[in-house]
Amino acid sequence: MTAGTVTPAREGGAESPVRIQIRRWPRSPVFYGIVVAVIAALAGQWGHVSPPAAYGLCSACHGRDLLNWTLNHVEGTHLFVTAAGSHWPLLTVIGVVLGSFAASKKNREFGSIDIGGNLRQFGLGFIVMCVALFVGGCPTRIILRTGYGDVAAIFTLFGIAGGIVIATLSMRWVARR
Amino acid sequence: MGGEKVTVSIVSLCVGLIVGYLGQRSRMCTIGGLRDWVLVRDTALLKGVGAMLVASWVIFSVIRQIAGSISGTGLLASGTTPSSLSAVAAVVIGGLLLGFFATLSGACPLRQHVLAGQGRIGAWAFLGGFYIAAVVYTSWIEPHIGSWVV
Repeated sequence: MTAGTVTPAREGGAESPVRIQIRRWPRSPVFYGIVVAVIAALAGQWGHVSPPAAYGLCSACHGRDLLNWTLNHVEGTHLFVTAAGSHWPLLTVIGVVLGSFAASKKNREFGSIDIGGNLRQFGLGFIVMCVALFVGGCPTRIILRTGYGDVAAIFTLFGIAGGIVIATLSMRWVARR
Repeated sequence: MGGEKVTVSIVSLCVGLIVGYLGQRSRMCTIGGLRDWVLVRDTALLKGVGAMLVASWVIFSVIRQIAGSISGTGLLASGTTPSSLSAVAAVVIGGLLLGFFATLSGACPLRQHVLAGQGRIGAWAFLGGFYIAAVVYTSWIEPHIGSWVV
């Protein structure tokens, strides 16, 4: 004789398949890609996040604008800030960190994990920012600029693809040796 | 237009929140797509990159039809063509270096922000170097090499 059920009845009972499908959308990279492209384009066109074209989302440029805007206002320096972020700061990077924090807390995935190599990450971060500002955006914005029709971004995208392949193959070569 | 109103801060914060939330849920990374495909032929993230590329092309084409603010012929925007072969070379080599070092660090810059929000210590170290480089680059490096890519 069994006392009680081993597996309790699922909360909410039978959910329609369509709703289950919709609830899985945030897990999909394709959904992410479409949403990012749409909201970045809308923010650039009607959200006043321009003059640089296709400027709706960029982790490198917006971070640079926020930091230089803060330094200009606190220290009185005259560092370069794009026209979009010259009067009011662009808070995209803070939003990304807070949004990710909220998502990881909500789904109990937040955890302070230290896998080492922090000094190496620091140096790589330095180089990545310099190169990203040189070519005019982080990879996400390069993709957006390519969709916008920026010829320079198309060349950059091919360069990034080549760099990824070279780095991946060389990392595998080092690991196998 | 743009830049004068507080709308800029609000809109960019909202964009960041949405992107951060979805980025944490989907584990999306723009360089991870090609890396996973080269290593293990996993196309999940590569499809995301392709979707972003196609969707941005579609949405910018739609905006071009509605607002007509984007000048240019056909698919290409005007004023974006590199002026010389050396500018093309600078952009391609810059892209090569960006892809190479971003892959070594394990994720694209946007994904590093997402990982930082998730509590990864290495991502915070990455962001430390990232933002120090922002000031260093605009103050001392850009005056010398910034005109190469124009």
